[in-house]
Amino acid sequence: MTRPPATQSSSVGLTARGGGHPAQLADVLERVLDKGIVIAGDIQVNLLDIELLTIRIRLLVASADKAKEMGIDWWQGDPFLAGRRGQPELEERLKRLERATGVDGADEDE
Amino acid sequence: MSAAASAQGDDAAAYYVYGVVARGDGADAFDGVVGLDQAHEILLIEGRDVAAVASEVTLGEFGDDVLTSNLRDPLWLEEKVRAHDRVLAAAVERVTVVPFRFGTIYRSLDHVRKMLDERADLERTLERLRGAVELGVKGFLSRDAVRDRLAAEHGLDGEKPASGREYMLRRSLERDLDDAVQRLAAELADDNHERLTGAAEAAIANPVRAADEQPEERMFLNGAYLVRVDREDGFRAAVASLDSTDARYEVTGPWPAYNFAEPSEDDA
Repeated sequence: MTRPPATQSSSVGLTARGGGHPAQLADVLERVLDKGIVIAGDIQVNLLDIELLTIRIRLLVASADKAKEMGIDWWQGDPFLAGRRGQPELEERLKRLERATGVDGADEDE
Repeated sequence: MSAAASAQGDDAAAYYVYGVVARGDGADAFDGVVGLDQAHEILLIEGRDVAAVASEVTLGEFGDDVLTSNLRDPLWLEEKVRAHDRVLAAAVERVTVVPFRFGTIYRSLDHVRKMLDERADLERTLERLRGAVELGVKGFLSRDAVRDRLAAEHGLDGEKPASGREYMLRRSLERDLDDAVQRLAAELADDNHERLTGAAEAAIANPVRAADEQPEERMFLNGAYLVRVDREDGFRAAVASLDSTDARYEVTGPWPAYNFAEPSEDDA
């Protein structure tokens, strides 16, 4: 049987880096969302949201690079992330409809 | 800033901070680099001793209410997270930077300057990180390789079992495989991390990512190492000299020192 070569692995999901080195999505997400110094800004990014996101991404992410390789959305199957795409358009459409019908997003219409 | 009247509007400016450099450092390192919104270029906002690497964004995209829902949009998130890293990567190895976590946003330049002046620890962290970058090392153990070696040690080198005894031996070998992989992974993780730590200024062994595992491989090392730029070759040589009988390694970076940005006890 053959042994896998002890070299660098596939080059999927790569992004050019300053040093000329590519980065995989998993590694970028892990660092930018989960590491780096935390300093309170004016806009409060909900830390719980970020934490939740990071945990989910930790579970998802690697498959992320592989999923991309296969042409699949990397967040597929995660209820927190999935299905968010398309919602802004839907909301916009709803707003337009409401405006047209004079309902205008009243509270009781939740 | 001048358009105070529109301070609450969607177009109102806010400042996204990527990290901090020493004042006077990196004056041209970010020239022509655009920020998260693909529209505004990077600017250095100077405080007393340090400067923020920042860019203008709008509250329409980064305001309190929209940010929460944007964070749940995977395409938006991926694009912005990559952009955050792209900005800092532009100057990696040339300028020492304390990288901020994603989503540090201020409503005015004055607020950024105030933060810079209040956080005296930033300058000490910069001093600690000076001239160093972060390299990531991931280690993967091949189950097939371990299986082959175990088989050879038991004198089983043929593909097909030649006898009933050999068949039984193979069956028990398969049962032992999980234990062997587990044991080997733990040994390699400790040994490798120790060796690499010796070639670095500082080191962190992060949890291995379950999702990085494939059926035929087991991730046993997800380390981050703070390495001086002039010792980078030596560090890579240390990785190349690790035991690769059953394992393979991936080096990532150079990264800004994301894993080493929180103040250490010495900085406090």
